Amino acid sequence: MRRAVGRYIVRRLLLNLLVLWIVATLVFFAVRLLKGDYVNERLGANLELSANNPVAIKQARHELGLDEPKWQQYFTYLGQLATGNLGKSFETRRSTWTELGERVPFTLELGTLIALLSFGVAIPVGIISAVRQDTWADYVLRGFSILSVATPVFFIAIVMTFFTLKYHLFTIEIVKSPHFWTDPKAAFFKYLIPAIAGGIAGGAGIMRLLRSQMLEVLRMDYVRTARAKGIAPNGVILRHALKNAMIPVLTVMGLTVSGIIGGQIILENMFGIRGVGNYLLYTITNRDYPPFQGTVIIIAFVVVTVNLLVDIMYAWFDPRIRYT
Amino acid sequence: MGRVAMARSEAAAALPEVIPASARDRPAGRRALVRTARFMRKRKLGAFGVVLVIVVLVAAILSPLLQRYDDNRQFLARNPNYQAAPSGGGSVLAQLQAGKTANDVSEFVTERFQSPNGTHWLGTDAFGRDIYARIIVGARLAALIGIFASLIAVTTGTVCGVVSGYFGGLIDLFFQRVVDGVQAFPALVLLLLIVQVFKTPPLWLTIAALGFLGWATSVRVVRSAVLSIRQQPFIEAARSCGATDIRLMLAHVLPNVVAVILILFSIGIGAYILAEAALSFLGLGPQGVTTWGKMVEAGRNGLDLHPWESLFSGAAITVAVLGFNLAGDALRDELDPRLRGR
Repeated sequence: MRRAVGRYIVRRLLLNLLVLWIVATLVFFAVRLLKGDYVNERLGANLELSANNPVAIKQARHELGLDEPKWQQYFTYLGQLATGNLGKSFETRRSTWTELGERVPFTLELGTLIALLSFGVAIPVGIISAVRQDTWADYVLRGFSILSVATPVFFIAIVMTFFTLKYHLFTIEIVKSPHFWTDPKAAFFKYLIPAIAGGIAGGAGIMRLLRSQMLEVLRMDYVRTARAKGIAPNGVILRHALKNAMIPVLTVMGLTVSGIIGGQIILENMFGIRGVGNYLLYTITNRDYPPFQGTVIIIAFVVVTVNLLVDIMYAWFDPRIRYT
Repeated sequence: MGRVAMARSEAAAALPEVIPASARDRPAGRRALVRTARFMRKRKLGAFGVVLVIVVLVAAILSPLLQRYDDNRQFLARNPNYQAAPSGGGSVLAQLQAGKTANDVSEFVTERFQSPNGTHWLGTDAFGRDIYARIIVGARLAALIGIFASLIAVTTGTVCGVVSGYFGGLIDLFFQRVVDGVQAFPALVLLLLIVQVFKTPPLWLTIAALGFLGWATSVRVVRSAVLSIRQQPFIEAARSCGATDIRLMLAHVLPNVVAVILILFSIGIGAYILAEAALSFLGLGPQGVTTWGKMVEAGRNGLDLHPWESLFSGAAITVAVLGFNLAGDALRDELDPRLRGR
């Protein structure tokens, strides 16, 4: 069993590498398809770089490596990637790693809060809703989850913002960027609305899926046997039913992680959080290729790794799964 | 009722899936109506969803009739404070520089930020445009975008999924890796990239981009359905009768995948409406048209004073997606209960 798992992991890691290569290639050519490049965007913003100064424009392009033919740029890019070099930002001339390093803490703060809220709320709600099927609790919770699947995450945030502003609950800080470890009170209020909005949006799908899976499992014969054996009801639910119900839910949880990334882009933009999602928007609008490419690759790496972890966890949840 | 009739109807009640003998005797039109009524009673939530979908579609199709006003019309009223020859002296520019607003000095005033009233059922926005009219027009766009994007995604995805699942081997591996690559992108980023090819993305490009995004999911789902069908004995039987690959794919595999395709299509519509709303909210949506997402963003300023634009357009998005989701769920439960929760 152990050798099979090891071989499986190795194969998956190689496949992940291939997927990352595809992602890197796609993003490289996709950004170069976009109208305008960094030099065009900056024309006029810099006195030296005006449209009347073609020499300066040519030199700027040369400095940034934009005048080389695309294929040459591509191979340089691949070579850099192989050594872990994600390029330098055209704008700040700092390495992408540095830029990301400044922004990842913010995204992790919000992302962790959202993940905790969505899983931490969705799982108990799904269980309760299934165990107390067709009671008022079930109807209320189901109604809530159906509604939250249909509501866009930014609208949840807007409704919450509306009530906060109208009844002067607290001030929504957009400009400052507190961390939890520097200024916990300010950080709490800054992340409050986006975390709850993201948590509701992220947890909605899981709630519904877990409920339907639990319902299916609770009807199964082995659950009836466990109850007949005299195992306490909680034990039955948690040890027998939940483990089996979780398997497809795990897939959805893995997908939700990449959904959380997308939701982060919107929420970070709305609330002025200097995170990775906001950085993606900023760099692509300015046609600042290297940080954008690097960030996309990092995100893709996180997604495929999470999926791999989810697949490995399958084996823990379901011993019948063998890795061929 | 006679004893025979009672026994018949009892048997019919015991087997709800079988068309009761009494219904079989009715003409076909009545039978369809009976089946619809049974669907409505059995799946109340789905029926509610279908009602919402119908509301959205009616708003979309009949929008010129339902709008009441043109959606871009700026409502103007005469300014009671207007002075043709201002007593304070000076030109319009001087007055503006002295701190008066445009609405003070001009002859006509835009009826901005009105709360819902008799003339404007849902109020007006920052430019004095009627919100209700804009929401009705937005319904047309939402329906267009959702349905066509879903159509593109499902048709292209089915073709690739069937080919990939049926032939297997290198073709399958190739498609799978590409699908993995596309799905490893955060969805919004991919949309962003495709849509920004033009500085001002046209509507068709947004729909195509959404369709491309959904292509990956469709390929995955259809491929797994095809894989399970491929094992079935009737495929082998047909092949031993001399059926070509194309015939097998079209006449044998495809009809069995139709249920999956229908479900993908119906459930996808809600997802595409949400995705386009997110794009428009970020300002990257199709230019030149007014979508609900754009309205939510436009209404953000002064949310506590005049939330009408944001709240009503956001509610419209929620209602539309809710309707399509519920209807799609009910369809899925009808067509294949095994697929519930997958």
